[in-house]
Amino acid sequence: MEIEVTQEKLSKALNNVSRIAVGRVTLPVLNNVLIRVDNKKVSLITTNLDMAVVDYLPVSDSRDGVTTVPARLLAEFVSNLPKGEKIKITAEGTKVTINAGKYSSTINGSPADDFPELPEINEETAVVFKVGADEFKNGIQSVSVASSNDLSRPALTGIYFNTFDKTLAIAATDGYRLAVRKLIKNVQSEIKVIVPATTLQEVLRAMSDNTEEVEISFNEDLVRFRLGEVEIISKLIDASFPDYQRLIPKDNDIKLELNRGELLRVSKLAALFARSVNGVIICEAKKPDTFSVKAIASELGENESTITTEVSEDGKNSFNSRFFIDAINALDEKDIVIEFSSRVAPIILRNKKNQDYTHIVMPINK
Amino acid sequence: MYNVWENILAEIEQKVSPANFSTWFKNTSLLSTKGGAIVIGVKNSFYVKQLRSKFIDIIKDALLKNNIEVNTIDFEVQTSVKPKVRSREVTGTVSADSISSRIKPIKNNIESSAENNGLNSKYTLDNFIIGSNNNVAAAAAKSIIDAPGTRCNPFFLYGGPGLGKTHLVQAIGNELLKRNPNYKILYTPISHFYSDFIDAIQNGKGKEFSRKFEKLDCLIIDDFQFIVNKEKSQEEFFNIFNDLYQLNKQIIVTSDRLPSQIKTVDERLASRLTWAGAFDLQLPKFEDKCAILRAKAELMGADIEPEAIEYIAENVNTNIRDLEGEFSTILLMSEVRGITPLELIENGSVGINKSSKLRPVSSKQVIDKVAKFYDLTVKEMCGKSRVANIKTARQVAMFLLSKELSLSTTKIALEVGVKDHTTVMHGIKKIETDLKLNFVLRDQIEEIKEKIYG
Repeated sequence: MEIEVTQEKLSKALNNVSRIAVGRVTLPVLNNVLIRVDNKKVSLITTNLDMAVVDYLPVSDSRDGVTTVPARLLAEFVSNLPKGEKIKITAEGTKVTINAGKYSSTINGSPADDFPELPEINEETAVVFKVGADEFKNGIQSVSVASSNDLSRPALTGIYFNTFDKTLAIAATDGYRLAVRKLIKNVQSEIKVIVPATTLQEVLRAMSDNTEEVEISFNEDLVRFRLGEVEIISKLIDASFPDYQRLIPKDNDIKLELNRGELLRVSKLAALFARSVNGVIICEAKKPDTFSVKAIASELGENESTITTEVSEDGKNSFNSRFFIDAINALDEKDIVIEFSSRVAPIILRNKKNQDYTHIVMPINK
Repeated sequence: MYNVWENILAEIEQKVSPANFSTWFKNTSLLSTKGGAIVIGVKNSFYVKQLRSKFIDIIKDALLKNNIEVNTIDFEVQTSVKPKVRSREVTGTVSADSISSRIKPIKNNIESSAENNGLNSKYTLDNFIIGSNNNVAAAAAKSIIDAPGTRCNPFFLYGGPGLGKTHLVQAIGNELLKRNPNYKILYTPISHFYSDFIDAIQNGKGKEFSRKFEKLDCLIIDDFQFIVNKEKSQEEFFNIFNDLYQLNKQIIVTSDRLPSQIKTVDERLASRLTWAGAFDLQLPKFEDKCAILRAKAELMGADIEPEAIEYIAENVNTNIRDLEGEFSTILLMSEVRGITPLELIENGSVGINKSSKLRPVSSKQVIDKVAKFYDLTVKEMCGKSRVANIKTARQVAMFLLSKELSLSTTKIALEVGVKDHTTVMHGIKKIETDLKLNFVLRDQIEEIKEKIYG
């Protein structure tokens, strides 16, 4: 096997694939990257058995063959070579030689036979969606804040791709807050699957400035994300996601329009004081035009800030300051709309113009 | 238990490297061997591919060695790493489906019977929880079921919203129908009654409208208070009422207040409605609320700790509808979070609707609110003035201080500036007696309470 490629291209490809090839002790070959040249088509592959990353590397010259090399070592070696250098990788048996002008090294690889074969998406039965790179990135980022790390509840460690009313939506919740975004409208297929949040983080990292579109293909128990030269294949989480539509309150009586920056500032101020009382901040609406956010820390003191906005109904409720601030940060328009009530009902936060994104936070009992 | 798969794994272990064995064969299981169709359970689809391409022959050999017939070998993805389940969770995966499986539907046959009598079969006497707040009304309801049209006719039931008026009268209807399926019953909210009546008049079918009622054996009218300002409808209702009553047909009417308190209700009608007495539904006491929640939990098949029930019962003080609402909210939240309702309450992540929770208030607040309600200054009210309205206001204040704050009579005497505790005792007693007869006063006191706690 032999390839010839520029330092930039190889370094970028190795960066994409090497992140998941670490720390597997039981099967050492999983720490390696598989370099395969098949009919002049070069692919770099790594897997951790929950997901796999494949990078199709454009090369100037190549000779068919296959080998595996420790991914981390190769990635770090290549990234330290001078930019613009032409790199030549040659494999003879398990000896892999890397030549780049004055620099050269030989790495002991291992036989490619040990490297696991990857599962494949069945193109015929797969459900395929295509979405613009920016929408995808913003969508995943804004929703994943609400996902959970609690491995004892696997369903909540993922992001729920689900269709309803011909819309593909993504949702995440950790039981204390919930974020939902409509991703694609007018879809024909129906799916309800949970994609691990870690996979999606990897997809976001692999996206570059020239990624224009993300192609997502679902099989019964697999998902594949295609972004240009990079493909990420992952298992799905085999669990049921809560029926989140029921969690979004429909009859919150207090509806306010607020400037996002202003709300963020007063919430951050209140959060300083809320630290000593488990982050409890109190939102209160008073007719005709006062919305206030306050925190009462009996020992430290207290804080109250008000924002002037139209208020048609009185009421107040308490929320966790961190979750509240996360929610405000997940929105992006200048003006936002919040809906809450004095009842035990979550608060809803949305952008004023584009209502595709909904974030809700459960209230807390003081 | 003898597990053949363990044997097979031991066999395979001899043939592959330890790294390969622990990576690929741990967490596998033998799901089926029926008719030589072998199904092996694996963690995810990454494993399927590898086992099939690299290890299939080894697996086949090992199976044959253990005398298992092999025709085909298939792999199935199984979440072998079971999520840690809490003891109360019956199912492995926490899911919306499990809500529906654990909480049995409360009977979905809501469709009303063929005759369209307006009755909803989910309301029965069995699921009406009887307590000290409603036992008289419930006893009257039972006597109607035993002998309709005799003793309690008309049956006039009143009480605040969400206390079970509709439930009780619907239950009577359903029970009557169960005993005698040929019984002709009509349940209608008064608003439907008058809109139907108006339609009938407009279409010149006024006669037919009243004929529809002539044939009935039992007429149930809900939310009678909305009759206000509908004089024509009232007259029509009065006629129907008289006809049915003459024939000893059972008439049941509910309202949120007594007929005499509903404005613009004809006196003749008002007095007729309460001929057989008026039965009221009151706010449930703590024990009644616990009983209601326990029954509801049982009906839904939900697990909830007695402490959690007590917490909810103690903190919801408005009505039964709110009580059940809070209860369902807490169950749903506990389901989503995967913790028990009690844990949910204890870690403070759920608060009871504040308007239903009575906050502690100071005696000053009570006095202020009472004075304000009666348009007096605190100084005017707390003194020795014997002007009737000031005296009443003062007595209401004493009554509330005693009932709501449980202050001693001596303390109350100091607070409202009267001579001594005997004056206070007299005042409280006076209000208590008046409350039984004077519904204006009752409403006023409820309103003041709302203001104090609101």
